[in-house]
Amino acid sequence: MDELELLKRDWKKQEANLPKISYDDIYKLIHKKSSSIVKWILIICIAELLFWSGLNLLIPESYLEIYEKFNLRSFLNITQYLHYAVVLIFIYFFYKNYKTIYVSESTNLLMKRIIKTRKTVNYYVYYNIIMYVLLTIILNVVMFSNPELLIKTLNPGESAVDGDLFLKILLIVQVVILLIMFGLLCLYYRIIYGILLRRLNKNYKELENLDI
Amino acid sequence: MIKELEHKFISEFQENQNIVHKVCRIYTSDQESHNDLFQEITIQLWKAYPTFRGDSKLSTWMYRIGLNTAITLYRKSKRSIPTQDFDTVLHKIESTDYDNTEEEQLKLMYKAIHQLSDIDKGLIFLYLEDKNYSEISETLGISEVNARVKMNRIKTRLKTILNP
Repeated sequence: MDELELLKRDWKKQEANLPKISYDDIYKLIHKKSSSIVKWILIICIAELLFWSGLNLLIPESYLEIYEKFNLRSFLNITQYLHYAVVLIFIYFFYKNYKTIYVSESTNLLMKRIIKTRKTVNYYVYYNIIMYVLLTIILNVVMFSNPELLIKTLNPGESAVDGDLFLKILLIVQVVILLIMFGLLCLYYRIIYGILLRRLNKNYKELENLDI
Repeated sequence: MIKELEHKFISEFQENQNIVHKVCRIYTSDQESHNDLFQEITIQLWKAYPTFRGDSKLSTWMYRIGLNTAITLYRKSKRSIPTQDFDTVLHKIESTDYDNTEEEQLKLMYKAIHQLSDIDKGLIFLYLEDKNYSEISETLGISEVNARVKMNRIKTRLKTILNP
């Protein structure tokens, strides 16, 4: 039994030199949730990228023929690669934010990093929405600037249609689709990233209270 | 309301933080993982705090949540030190040069403890904390008989390391 008693004694002795964490530090520890919120931002962003690139692979070739006729194929390909590159850069930033928030020691530093993350997320959302609207407008301008080709492509059977009326309806449909998609995109980002950002803000406010 | 609860939690936690540090000391061997585990246990305790009704003592509750967090975390994570059967551990330790000073004995015992399985670590920890078997079984969620059997096995083995 001696050895076990020896162990017990030593264990008790060690108690004296256990670290002591202050009230403020414990407060900060239970508010470290920020790092897990930022982790979710990172995960969702990656999932989004995978989802869209996966969807792209599923689009049938025939659907893209219309762009071929307008010589827009290479333009589309280039914008797509550029887009992936930009999203990858954002993912890198999100990852960096996550890493730095995870290891922030002082409240002040943590607050600064939360603000930075918030900015990055906002830029990411703006980028995605603007990119979508801009691309749609460019594609439509190019297509509508060559109305004969557009009618011929969409009406291969050459059935008798009123060209002007056809173009007007097409334009209205395109604008409506653009508005609906714009609304859906805003809604999506508002819900998903909005929730995460609100949580981050709440955490920030609490940290702010602590600092004063 | 939340502020008050938070204040109460932090004050009580601060007073009893030794428990968490000791759990970390049993389950981790370097400062960085000690801090990681400490943070994780603190967050789990805070999450569970609103449901703590005071049926048991705060310290008992902290032992339970702390050990459970350590056990689940180390079961899930691949960073954990691979655990081995106690017998193989002993075999290795016995074969190393043996020096009979107190310090050396302690070192050997701690070394053996660090290589125990997650549950066994919890058992020896509660034993070192002078808990009786009913407390141990309540904290770890195993039967009292099981706790007794496991503990006796660890104890005899620990003794045989030192008196081969």
